[in-house]
Amino acid sequence: MKFQIEDVTVYFPYDHIYPEQYAYMVELKRALDARGHCLLEMPTGTGKTIALLSLITSYTLSKPNNPVKLIYCTRTVHEMEKTLAELKLLHAYQTTHIGDRARILAVGLSSRKNLCVNSRVLAAENRDSVDASCRRLTASWVRAAAVANPNLPTCEFFEEYEKAGSNAVLPPGVYTLQDLRAYGKEKGWCPYFLARHMVQFANVVVYSYQYLLDPKVAGYISKEMQKESVVVFDEAHNIDNVCIEALSVSVRRQTLEGARRNLNKMRQEIEKFKATDAGRLRAEYNRLVEGLAQRGNLPFTDNWLSNPALPDDILKEAVPGNIRRAEHFLHVLRRLVQYLEGRLETDNVEKEGPVGFVASINTHAGIDQKTLKFCYDRLHSLMLTLEITDTDEFLHIQTICDFATLVGTYTRGFSVIIEPFDERMPHIPDPVLQLSCHDASLAIKPVFDRFQSVVITSGTLSPIDLYPRLLNFHPVVSRSFTMSLTRDCICPMVLTRGSDQLPVSTKFDMRSDLGVVRNYGRLLLEMASVVPDGIVCFFVSYSYMDGIVNSWNENGILKEIMQHKLVFIETQDVVETTLALDNYRKACDCGRGAIFFSVARGKVAEGIDFDRHYGRLVIMFGVPFQYTLSKILLARLEYLRDTFQIKEGDFLTFDALRQAAQCVGRVIRSKADYGMMIFADKRYSRHDKRSKLPGWILSHLRDAHLNLSTDMALHIAREFLRKMAQPYDKAGSSGRKTLLSQEDVEKMGDGILNEMQY
Amino acid sequence: MNNGNGRRLNGETEEDDDDEGSEGDLDAWERTYADERSWESLQEDESGLLRPVDNKTLYHAQYRRRIRSLSSQATTSRIQKGLIRYLYIVVDLSRAAAEMDYRPSRMAVVAKHVEAFIREFFDQNPLSQLGLVTIKDGIAHCLTDLGGSPESHVKALMGKLECSGESSLQNALDLVHGYLNQIPSYGHREVLILYSALSTCDPGDILETIQKCKKSKMRCSVIGLSAEIFICKHLCQETGGSYSVAMDESHFKELILEHAPPPPAIAEFAIANLIKMGFPQRAAESSIAICSCHKEAKVGGGYTCPRCKARVCELPTECRICGLTLISSPHLARSYHHLFPIVPFDEVSSSVLNDPRNRLPRSCFGCQQSLPNPGNKPSLRVACPKCKQHFCLDCDIYIHESLHNCPGCESFRHSKSPIATEE
Repeated sequence: MKFQIEDVTVYFPYDHIYPEQYAYMVELKRALDARGHCLLEMPTGTGKTIALLSLITSYTLSKPNNPVKLIYCTRTVHEMEKTLAELKLLHAYQTTHIGDRARILAVGLSSRKNLCVNSRVLAAENRDSVDASCRRLTASWVRAAAVANPNLPTCEFFEEYEKAGSNAVLPPGVYTLQDLRAYGKEKGWCPYFLARHMVQFANVVVYSYQYLLDPKVAGYISKEMQKESVVVFDEAHNIDNVCIEALSVSVRRQTLEGARRNLNKMRQEIEKFKATDAGRLRAEYNRLVEGLAQRGNLPFTDNWLSNPALPDDILKEAVPGNIRRAEHFLHVLRRLVQYLEGRLETDNVEKEGPVGFVASINTHAGIDQKTLKFCYDRLHSLMLTLEITDTDEFLHIQTICDFATLVGTYTRGFSVIIEPFDERMPHIPDPVLQLSCHDASLAIKPVFDRFQSVVITSGTLSPIDLYPRLLNFHPVVSRSFTMSLTRDCICPMVLTRGSDQLPVSTKFDMRSDLGVVRNYGRLLLEMASVVPDGIVCFFVSYSYMDGIVNSWNENGILKEIMQHKLVFIETQDVVETTLALDNYRKACDCGRGAIFFSVARGKVAEGIDFDRHYGRLVIMFGVPFQYTLSKILLARLEYLRDTFQIKEGDFLTFDALRQAAQCVGRVIRSKADYGMMIFADKRYSRHDKRSKLPGWILSHLRDAHLNLSTDMALHIAREFLRKMAQPYDKAGSSGRKTLLSQEDVEKMGDGILNEMQY
Repeated sequence: MNNGNGRRLNGETEEDDDDEGSEGDLDAWERTYADERSWESLQEDESGLLRPVDNKTLYHAQYRRRIRSLSSQATTSRIQKGLIRYLYIVVDLSRAAAEMDYRPSRMAVVAKHVEAFIREFFDQNPLSQLGLVTIKDGIAHCLTDLGGSPESHVKALMGKLECSGESSLQNALDLVHGYLNQIPSYGHREVLILYSALSTCDPGDILETIQKCKKSKMRCSVIGLSAEIFICKHLCQETGGSYSVAMDESHFKELILEHAPPPPAIAEFAIANLIKMGFPQRAAESSIAICSCHKEAKVGGGYTCPRCKARVCELPTECRICGLTLISSPHLARSYHHLFPIVPFDEVSSSVLNDPRNRLPRSCFGCQQSLPNPGNKPSLRVACPKCKQHFCLDCDIYIHESLHNCPGCESFRHSKSPIATEE
């Protein structure tokens, strides 16, 4: 269908549109007009992605003299593929309607592991080793050597790509990762380098968050993006954590040992070079005198690191004299590693600001701040000079240099925390030194500054006014949209009491109470007997899950549950969890019924969907607060309070509730789906907790469902499941339109907008 | 709440008598409490207020929806109906059937309505046969073989009402598949599963069994008693059956009776076929003969097979001696109406009712009772699109579900006088 939003003609590939999608597009269009950033919350299953894509591409089409580039960031490769598939559909629709003018180039970009077509390289198991083995075949010196000695292996795809030179371009169209691989195979060109090359020219780029947020990667992938771009962060409810992780480093004993090994290896290499090719080292020295900025004219297969968020003027400075020579630099690093080793040998938890830490390095190891700041680039340069291709083996020393540069660069928003053992297992010494970033706005600031519009969108962004404060930006539009439903297909409930009317909670003083454990067990057992197919349970932590499942096992509840459904458990091991998930799905498919025990903030809670019969009910046992005694969290809370005036309690509740919402949101993935959500903790009935849930859950949470005991919940569940099993009319009754045709949209105008917002 | 029940003539009345006998010592008010449970039909609106229930219009609305869906299928294409059905009813008697959310228990409610269904089934499909299978302790048992006598099925079911253990859909399907596979190709193979449990414990891969059923053209339908189960939905989708979940007892009754009229035939399966049948003569009152079904000497009654002259007690059946299908001509005639259903009546819109220029008939053409005044209660009448006669809601249901003839059209055909006077 085709309709007008103000001055933009929107091409939408489906015959019908949900009213909230329309409202979403209108808001988005206004944000684009204002060239500002925006925050949009809309429940999953309402077609956010297609609304975004279709509005932004149509916007470009309507204003041909001012083309906008769309940079779409997703969290996982799977989401990337889904987005590209939708875009393909949209593109096909647009080209049939307005012909060649609508032609665009859209590429997905992922790591070598997902794009490589060379079978020898793909044999490596993880991402880092794929990268390394690719470099082994394509680094400039390897290729130069291969010219002289044809027996050296090179990558035939890359050679072909290089040979084609500037002719190696993608014709317009939408390329998913699979399409890229197929195209690469057909032409004999390396898809990874082709995609990286085409990113600059493409109208739409779909890639992972890291390519924009992680300064190490962002520097070289996203450097050449034009300012007139719209950046979209999809599923961005955890964006602050992604930003923080991008700038945090943790150093363990193994890291330091590995770093020592790396240093020894490098020393040997230097000795070798001294004997054979002293000129190289000399040339490097001269280059460093002139400044790091000169590095730009290196062949681009070689640049694999870039500076973490360093201001440009530092790049132009000359590298400090004491690390210009390779041996001297190694000495500095050795002293640094030794110093860090000394710091790890402590019995108490220590916390320090970066300034104090740098000062103490200076006094104890004699390395000043400026030297630290350059470690990263100096290492990079050295590794290029030494022609090291096995980058995966040198990860440890890279981590150390990351750490050094970050601690040398930032004076605020970070702290260094040394813990001699894990708080939860005090008997096992496991010293760890962490440089943790507290300020999410540091990593995302360059993105906000550089691009015209940044769109942050997700199914759960409540409370929506907190995100601008956390990320330190000023959105021109921040809206939350509800979901228009033909029937009440979600049924959230707050369960506060067990069947014996005693309160249930995972509060610290209550969680090990036998009565609470039993009440939780009875709840699950009763629910297992009335809910068909799949049930998903989320616990607040692994240790709590282990404990409660153990005691259920002891008092026989688990056995009773197993009579109704099979039980699967998420573990910290990815392979085991994947297998459990697989079998869980199988059990749901064949009608046996199954329960999946999982942990909030775990892998399953973030990325796995339990739609349709895979999740008819989700039970959130307790409120998933973060581990509040963690030193890192405490430091971050303190920072947030001092800098952004966000109260500790507010932030903790916000964080816990967004996790809870994220967990329960797993069961609803489309409007035709239905599911129940039980929040089993008495604290959810308090207004300050509950009000932080996203609007689309709150609007279905009736007052009668706020303070339930197990038996009442059971009754509601029975009724709900029966009601949902009845056939229904998809388009909605005449009073409440939930699917709009083209005429409806034209008739309606602005009336709908106000209806869809909170 | 009991309007429209009159059409289940034989089954209901007998059963009501039973109830009266057993609960005779209850007072009238107690009885409404125990039987009807009127509070269960109360509904809440969005704000939690109680909403009064208008049972009659509600019931009629349901019926209209049903009839409309049926006729919409019929008008799009001329549908062949499978008149000779071989139906297995699978009753789930696993642990879940003991649950008390239906009173007194799911099992008892299922049994009660299966009994009514069996009678209704033979009433509507005299040429068909039916068998009973139960699932208990994860194993499927065959209660009765395919047969045409309602009494024997009902007796067998009532004698076996106890439940335990798990339920297994696969075992039941395998068992039924074994029986139905031998049915000649003109018969329509159907399974109706009344499923209480929420899971199925199977010995093997149920998806394969479903494919097997699909291949041998078994139409599997499921009525669930508690919630929608994925595997049941899948089964019904694959085999072309219908899946429904009962909200309460009266809804369950409605759902199960929906399976009584013959379903549309599966397209590739519906080849025209000649079937050999015998129309036996009723034996003289005084003649004595040994019947072939009970192996007893009987005086009078019974029928004689036209081919082998064996004596059988009941029709329709299959001759024990020569295997000929034996039926009587009224049986055939009773199946006939399924092929030519009467068109659904149109609701008379309130605008027509309120228009003073239209002189509308005062009384229902069927029962002659006066129709409600246009003023106080609009839209409670329907009109036949062919003969334009008006009917009340009760007659509408009676005509479509029991009579299968429109009195207006019939009288129009014989004498034109009533129409003429009206015009």
